[in-house]
Amino acid sequence: MLYSQRDTLRSARWMLLLTLLTIFTLVMAACGGDGSEPAAEEAAPAEEAAAPAEEATEAPAEEATAEEAPAAEEAAPAEEEALGSSLIGEIEGPKIITDEATFPAEFAEAPMLTEMVDSGDLPALADRLPVPSDLLVIQPVHEIGQYGGTWRRGFTGPADGQNGHRVAGGDRFVFWDAVNFPEVVPNLAKSWEINDGGKEIILHLREGVKWSDGEPFTTADVMFWFEHMYMNEELVPVRSPFFNVDEGATLEATDEYTLRFTFPFENSLFLEVLGSSVNVFGGQAIFGNTGMGGFAPAHYLEQFHPDFADQADIDAKVAEEGFDNWVNLFKDKNTWQRNPDLPVLTPWKTENPITTDNWVLVRNPYYFGVDTDGNQLPYIDRISMTLAEDLEVLNLRAIAGEYDYQARHISLANLPVLLENAEAGNYSVHLDPAQHGADAGFQINQSYRADEEIAKWLQNADFRRALSLGIDRDAINEVIFLGIGVPGSAVVAESSPFNPGPEYRELWSPATPDIEQANALLDSIGLTEKDADGYRLRTDNGERLVLEVNPIPAFIQFTKVAELVRDDWAELGIFLNVVEQERGLVETRRAANEIQMFLWQNDGTDELYLYPYHALPVANTSGTGPAYGDWYSSNGAQGIEPTDESHIKVFDLFSQGLKATPEERVTIGQEIWQIITDEVWTIGTVGQSGAFMGVRVVKNNMGNIPSRQFNIQAGQTPNISRPSTFYFTDAGE
Amino acid sequence: MVSYIIRRFLAGLLTIWAATVITFVVIQLPPGDFVTSYIANLQSSGTVIRAEEAEALRQQYGLDRPMYVQYAKWMGLMLKGNFGMAMEYNRPVREVIGDRMAITVVVSLAAVAFIWVLALPIGVYSAVRQYSLGDYFFTFLSFAGIAIPNFMLALVLLYVSFKYFDVQNIGGLFSPGMALEPWGWPKVWDMIKHLPIPAVIIGMAGMAEVVRIMRANLLDELRKPYVVTARAKGLAETRVIAKYPVRAALNPFISTIGYIFPFLVSGSIIVSLVLSLPTVGPLLYKALIAQDLFLSGTILLLLAILTVIGTFISDLLLMWIDPRIRFGMEGSN
Repeated sequence: MLYSQRDTLRSARWMLLLTLLTIFTLVMAACGGDGSEPAAEEAAPAEEAAAPAEEATEAPAEEATAEEAPAAEEAAPAEEEALGSSLIGEIEGPKIITDEATFPAEFAEAPMLTEMVDSGDLPALADRLPVPSDLLVIQPVHEIGQYGGTWRRGFTGPADGQNGHRVAGGDRFVFWDAVNFPEVVPNLAKSWEINDGGKEIILHLREGVKWSDGEPFTTADVMFWFEHMYMNEELVPVRSPFFNVDEGATLEATDEYTLRFTFPFENSLFLEVLGSSVNVFGGQAIFGNTGMGGFAPAHYLEQFHPDFADQADIDAKVAEEGFDNWVNLFKDKNTWQRNPDLPVLTPWKTENPITTDNWVLVRNPYYFGVDTDGNQLPYIDRISMTLAEDLEVLNLRAIAGEYDYQARHISLANLPVLLENAEAGNYSVHLDPAQHGADAGFQINQSYRADEEIAKWLQNADFRRALSLGIDRDAINEVIFLGIGVPGSAVVAESSPFNPGPEYRELWSPATPDIEQANALLDSIGLTEKDADGYRLRTDNGERLVLEVNPIPAFIQFTKVAELVRDDWAELGIFLNVVEQERGLVETRRAANEIQMFLWQNDGTDELYLYPYHALPVANTSGTGPAYGDWYSSNGAQGIEPTDESHIKVFDLFSQGLKATPEERVTIGQEIWQIITDEVWTIGTVGQSGAFMGVRVVKNNMGNIPSRQFNIQAGQTPNISRPSTFYFTDAGE
Repeated sequence: MVSYIIRRFLAGLLTIWAATVITFVVIQLPPGDFVTSYIANLQSSGTVIRAEEAEALRQQYGLDRPMYVQYAKWMGLMLKGNFGMAMEYNRPVREVIGDRMAITVVVSLAAVAFIWVLALPIGVYSAVRQYSLGDYFFTFLSFAGIAIPNFMLALVLLYVSFKYFDVQNIGGLFSPGMALEPWGWPKVWDMIKHLPIPAVIIGMAGMAEVVRIMRANLLDELRKPYVVTARAKGLAETRVIAKYPVRAALNPFISTIGYIFPFLVSGSIIVSLVLSLPTVGPLLYKALIAQDLFLSGTILLLLAILTVIGTFISDLLLMWIDPRIRFGMEGSN
């Protein structure tokens, strides 16, 4: 009796538990099953999608790559047409006005500055601006803006300086036209003269430009930088090849506002160097912390320099701030993003440093730019960047509409979720595809020597062409790039003057694989023997021919691309081993000439002469031949000398191009691209997708935002679109 | 007993020193160094650093010296209370960690409070009412708590809070704009409002684990003859349970103090990354990626010290709380 009662009780409990579990399951199912189903499905990939784009591997990244593919495939066919056409606009941008007759005569300033003038903390606007004829006058892309507001962004920590440089930097002598790259426009320099075909270049600086602390900016600041920083062996141990004083380049100030550069050869490229991200004249904002940049605030920095200050005083400061030597202290003081006291020339300056959770920039009351109505720029008061410890959080915050304008760190894989939430977050999404040809390209190491057999094949043009022919680029485009990209070779975009012709997009690089021709090529070069699994064998020892690639988990889903290519190449009987490795490790191994191929976007190849590293092996950072790069950059002192005709020819052309006239440079550039594309040193897959820093989330209350902007390293996009003219349309309310 | 404490203390010191050596060696093991990652970063801004420049940078940071020289330099600095420079930040390590340490301690304490305040009563309840509906419920919950990786939970909660609640500044410990404010009541209150989610997420697995441990220990105790005797003699049920079995079952609880603090710092790295908490965890993670010797070394050392101190304290507490240990030791002496 007793026992049976107990049993009944127990079974009743079990029943209850079962019921509970059932209810729980039903509730869960209901949550997933109601109208929000697609949202729930896409949420997971979106949250995790950012992980592969991160600079380092962590646990969720592995899962994300596995889960993303189906989501992307689902999204792509449905939205393919709409995505490309609706998100990629026409390139447009502000104009720099150079006709003094149309310059404004009356000027206005931001209310927050008027307050400071009224309270006596700041001189009047007329005393802060340059002389009227020397103003930088910018015509905003759409309309005159309104003052006020804080531009919210996300950043990832003290190494993310570019996050601010790209929106608030741009302090170069000259800069780029927002639409017609590579047309150079005035910036810190008002005008220039090119004499003797480029043997002498004169820059005229603007009169009355002031540092952000009100001190005048003159050629003295340039000469201080040149004589005491650039020429100081401790601060700058190695001088730039773009301004080689050992080969006879000189710089002098002929008066307070005139600079004279001379070169032993006709340096017609130099003006473009001045506008580019080449470190030597790339601006104080980005390169001040390396002693480069092209100018520096002498009146502030002299107190930290042993040429001017007492060594004992400097030593005391070094010790007080915990540095090892004066060089590190000096560089720290000249770091735009870390030192709020540093005088700068940029539209905004650091108010709260990047080493905190909230990096804040505030308007520079002495900025030398005005709009066509005479309103001093920038329009926006502050830029506030909040720390996101993780890219997933940053992307989620963008999706939630917490950023006013952000392209940096936004992942293309998140596009479907970004679009889905655009209305709720009150933002719109733009894509800014860059001109470089490959958002994922296999740079085949031509100087690889670690395995003679492998090296032999990597250097065989027909082998590379066969590999390229065997790739299903359409599939990669659909799966990884949501169908937005352009499948084809690594050649620069057709819209670039350096493009040799539309036929080069398809050369050895069809959208759908040509297995037959690929196999024929492989057979013809003697790779005829295969093992039981159908893989081709080495010719030296009869073992399977194994290639290896080391994708890096950063920016684009390189590992996923490599895995798709691995399956394509298996069809050709080529075995590709995909081993994901951390970026630092791959780059160290690349410099040591140990990797067979380097999988990366070929960013920068759209400015062939200024950033050739992903197109030609001119430095040991080049994936297509780091040891050739050592040889080239050391003038033959180190590395391996290339002996094949194509490399000799292409190096010769490149050296010619560096010293040629602008017109010749374009012709030579096209010829270089013909050789690069025909030789297939880089096997391009898909490009021009916008995946590389081109997914832009902009709140709908921001004005003067170009529908599409030129996305290029040299232009520090969006700096090329002059963010000082961006504004909040509801700022006055 | 005093000699026991002194022995434990000296052993602790030795452990910490060994930890410094291992830490330093481990950080040095991966290929490349801080300059490598610095160069990679410069490349993304369009600059290529040549081999000679890289060498000069290594000299400036002292990275070209052999490992034992760098170790000696680090130890020398540390004995003077200087932990070196955090390379990415270009600030003294002490400052960089100091900023985040306070927040780390607050978050950890909140998580520990969450663990203990809930785990104790639930554990006791589950054991006393074994196989009751409530026990099944909590058992289910705690298995779920142990099984669900906490970063996953964090991701789901983040998404839910974004999708269904109007949450400003997803993740993070402060509302936008608040991070810059000086410390004061509004900021503290703002942080308190942001605390529960991280505390629950970080503490979830720990709580579930402690519930299981408590339940199992107490069940063991409850079946012992002395409990039966106490009951037979008519002692009130609450007294029977609270007076002896619970105290005896607490032992493993106390021992967890030793590892719970370092676990909360290092074990919550992924959660802190996902929730974007400005704690030491993400700092350690990034310092390791950037191969910042001094910063990552100091944090790892700090964790080692926390572990050693924690273990030491839990040993002392155990001696104090459990007479069996105390008398057992005296007996052996």
